[in-house]
Amino acid sequence: MLELILQTSVNAIYAASFMALVAVGLVMIFGVMRVINFAHGELYMLGSYCVVFFYADQQFPILVATCIGLVFVGVTGILMERALFRPLRDNPLGGLIASIGFLLCAQAIISMGFGVRAEHVPPTTQQVIGLGIGSVAIPLQRLYVVIAAVLLLTALYVFLRHTRFGWALRACAQDAKAAALQGISLNQTARIAMFIGAALAGTAGALTAPLVRVYPYMGHSVIVTAFIIIIVGGIGSLEGAIVAAILYAFVHTFVTTFADGVTADIVGLLLMLMVLVVRPNGLFGTRERA
Amino acid sequence: MAGRFYKKGLSRRSFMGTTAAGMALAATAAPRSSLAADDTVKIGFLAPLTGEVAAWGAPGLFGCEIWAERVNAAGGIKAGNKTYKVEIVSYDNEYAPDKARAGAQKLINEDEVKFIMMLGGDTMPPVVQVANRAEMLVSTLLPSDLTPDTPYLIAPCEVHPIYNVTGVDWLAANKPELKTAVICAQDDALGRPSVATYLAAFEAAGIEVLDDPLFFDITTTDFAPVMTALLAKNPDILCLDTCYSDYVHPLAEQAYLQGYKGQIISCTADFYDQMIEKTSKEFMEGLIFQFPDFDDPALNQPQINFNDPNGFFTEYNKRWPGEWGAVSWEYASIMDLWKAGAEKAASVEPMDVLVAMKSGGTGKHAFGEARWWGKELFGIDNALVGDWPVVVIEDGKAVIKEYRSIPAWWDKHKDLMIKHFEAMGEMYYQRA
Amino acid sequence: MTRWLGFAILAVLLVGAPFVLSFSQQEIAVFLVINVLIVCSYRLLTLTGEWSLGHFVIVGVGGYASALLSKPTWLPPETAAALGGGLPVPLAMLAGGCVAALVAFVLSFPLFRLKGFYFLIGSFAAGEVIRLMWKKFRDPFGGPKGLKSVEGFPDIQLGDISLPMWDATNYYYLCLIVVGLSLWVLYRIERSRIGLTFHALHWQDKLAESVGVNAWRYRMLAFVIASFFAGIAGALMAHYLGTVNPNMFDVEPMVFVLIWVIVGGTATFYGPILGVVVLTVLNEIVLRELGVADQMRHLIYGLLLILAVLFLPKGLESGIERLRSRFRRREDSAARAAQPDVA
Repeated sequence: MLELILQTSVNAIYAASFMALVAVGLVMIFGVMRVINFAHGELYMLGSYCVVFFYADQQFPILVATCIGLVFVGVTGILMERALFRPLRDNPLGGLIASIGFLLCAQAIISMGFGVRAEHVPPTTQQVIGLGIGSVAIPLQRLYVVIAAVLLLTALYVFLRHTRFGWALRACAQDAKAAALQGISLNQTARIAMFIGAALAGTAGALTAPLVRVYPYMGHSVIVTAFIIIIVGGIGSLEGAIVAAILYAFVHTFVTTFADGVTADIVGLLLMLMVLVVRPNGLFGTRERA
Repeated sequence: MAGRFYKKGLSRRSFMGTTAAGMALAATAAPRSSLAADDTVKIGFLAPLTGEVAAWGAPGLFGCEIWAERVNAAGGIKAGNKTYKVEIVSYDNEYAPDKARAGAQKLINEDEVKFIMMLGGDTMPPVVQVANRAEMLVSTLLPSDLTPDTPYLIAPCEVHPIYNVTGVDWLAANKPELKTAVICAQDDALGRPSVATYLAAFEAAGIEVLDDPLFFDITTTDFAPVMTALLAKNPDILCLDTCYSDYVHPLAEQAYLQGYKGQIISCTADFYDQMIEKTSKEFMEGLIFQFPDFDDPALNQPQINFNDPNGFFTEYNKRWPGEWGAVSWEYASIMDLWKAGAEKAASVEPMDVLVAMKSGGTGKHAFGEARWWGKELFGIDNALVGDWPVVVIEDGKAVIKEYRSIPAWWDKHKDLMIKHFEAMGEMYYQRA
Repeated sequence: MTRWLGFAILAVLLVGAPFVLSFSQQEIAVFLVINVLIVCSYRLLTLTGEWSLGHFVIVGVGGYASALLSKPTWLPPETAAALGGGLPVPLAMLAGGCVAALVAFVLSFPLFRLKGFYFLIGSFAAGEVIRLMWKKFRDPFGGPKGLKSVEGFPDIQLGDISLPMWDATNYYYLCLIVVGLSLWVLYRIERSRIGLTFHALHWQDKLAESVGVNAWRYRMLAFVIASFFAGIAGALMAHYLGTVNPNMFDVEPMVFVLIWVIVGGTATFYGPILGVVVLTVLNEIVLRELGVADQMRHLIYGLLLILAVLFLPKGLESGIERLRSRFRRREDSAARAAQPDVA
């Protein structure tokens, strides 16, 4: 039983790091631009397909493919910002619809190019690392995701705390108008936020491509979870998103193991509703204006 | 390691370009009327071609188009004193009941098709309403759609999940030392009846099933917890039921990574070469499943009714690399059966074909002569069952070990099957 | 006067539509009419300024409730027989709407503590919990495959003529009547004092509260009324299709409701209707008739959405309004030009 609990915890740690990557990206975008990016799951999907194309088909090293995924999806994010979200800055619902439009296009293009079947991504490594307690183990490939998530999120934290850009970014997230009055360029900040947010989603997709089912509609399951996490954490709070990702991943993984997946979904959602009823602005959220 | 992987890669990406171009072309010109001058019989294909379930429809449509080309090239279908070219007309139902109903109306009343092939499931109830009134012959891949109220609905290819008994039967006969099993499946119209079937088959074979079957939701993405829960029981046999290949792969991978070394039995193992790549050859050795490769020499035996399986397989892979799976040939094999029916009936009219198909109570199933059956399980004899292959992975290649008879098993153990179907709530009178 | 003429023309068009539509287009028309009710009821909720992502699940609540009440397989057979074996379908539909309203009433206690984006996602979570319950509890909801033999709407007897309701044309007229009546009620509500309060809550909720309007109660009222009509729409759908299942009510159709409403625009009563009609006709009729390959259809639809919000950010209705005002201006200037120059 102890082994089962430990193994489940290991599974949960992996799930948490992957969800944190996606959710933090979504929070960045929402925080700075106040736009609900419904296509965030599709950015994640595009990251996975970068690995399918460059690693599985063109046989680039996985690290290169992952970096291409990061850059490609980040740049896609910048393009989205320029073409869709900037013209619709004062129109959050318009931004939502535009992101849905992008989502449909991305799914259709990928389906046409790669087919509707799930893609095969050969494993990068099959090594399993035992933790010295019974049979408890973590596959190296999953460990990579955990390590990458910790590294990237730490880097992001340092960036936000200790650079001018980070300072501008946080200022915009708190109050865009005031920030603009202070001479911060909203366009520039939004572009950086969108690049980071999209790149995080893309990296999450690229890193997990050998582990999950890669198919054109894979974004669907991610987006729902990501929204739940950023709400529980509190909109605009990166720390909140990370804490909520860990919380949600543990609850969900344990209930899945000891009961079943649907129950886990229900429990996860109820938990979130409870958090919101007690703290209507999320765990770490500040009061929402407007 | 990546070196031997994907010689296909190149051809697939060149296909990527051509498909996009082809689809753009299709957008501007509809080349459908080009056959209209001849006597043409239209066949409807009403299945999800886009969306989450598209993998159950689109690859089948590709197969049917190849089938139609091959039949047309060979002169078409001779029904009575007329010769027909075949034309497949598709309608994307997006796996939504309302679009399925609109699609059925269009195919029946506007395209005037003579037969409709469907995936079934969620999209079936509204189509049955329409088809029953129009007396339209419809086929499904999911026999759980059959009820006494569906006289024109047939399940002529894959009588899922009944054939799964053959795999368990073979396993028990060849590896009698394996005594315990665990089962998991996605919770849906494929998974549940299949679990009932495996439970019955295991009971008939004297294999104990540890714990209740584990059902996971179809939206599951991380299978590590599922496998952790399963392996906690230390089974001899891991039964992956009728999980979709999208689930079989990660499940097998997790089993491998979590150190499982025992026997695996599964309904499908599509793309098993990729599974081997994700696990190891030793791990996959001896895995039992139910779907042969179509280049298997055992498919050239005389009783097999699928026309030129090896050639079909080659052509399909040439045209649609990476899209081959069970549905790729299943819809096409239904077309074979329909063609035989039309030729026998000397007519392409739906009701004539249905009568001809079912006359004598037997039909030419892809895997040999089979009988129309199902009264006791589905309330209607509209499912075609006969022999089904037991496929085992040996040295990295799927090999048909034996064709086993489903009716023979049924005659001995039908009470068990009905018992487990009832317990699962899957008998036709329970499926309200 | 011109207004009544307009309505008369519209009525003739709607009644005459089935005679010019093909079989499959008649089917699409049935669902289009039902979807009009869904978007209009949704708009009532958005009047208060809150956007929900749970509306389509509420539609499903109506469908499930109506299906289960008209065919009570979940009761012990003796009890069901004693009760006369379920409600007649028209009554069950009404009851389905009531159940949906009741569910909305209960949900409004936790949900209206939230605002803005939090409400959006909170309503999604609440809806998703309901939907997962249908998946989880096979008895009575049928689990993932749902209910597969929902009672059909009984044939209507008009003297000697019997109108079978499985037929698309007849059901279209039934939906037209039900939806027409519902829209009229929704319109009256919006124009009533209650409706004006909804508007006030949207634009000035602090001010409204300070003059004694109980914001929570009015939001709840809008949610309950909207849900009642959504439930009716769900019931109309269920008894026509003969099936309801959890997949039909997941986030995807909800996204389409959002698309229709936002692309149409919510400033006017007809905005969402315009959205759903234009987009459905484009997607289901025009693109399909053109023989556009299926993936391409979704691609074009996505592009159209982007273009619509970029160039008509206030919705299709704003395009109409613009045309109308231009027309009026021209009329005015024409009238002015026609007047003799006094100076």
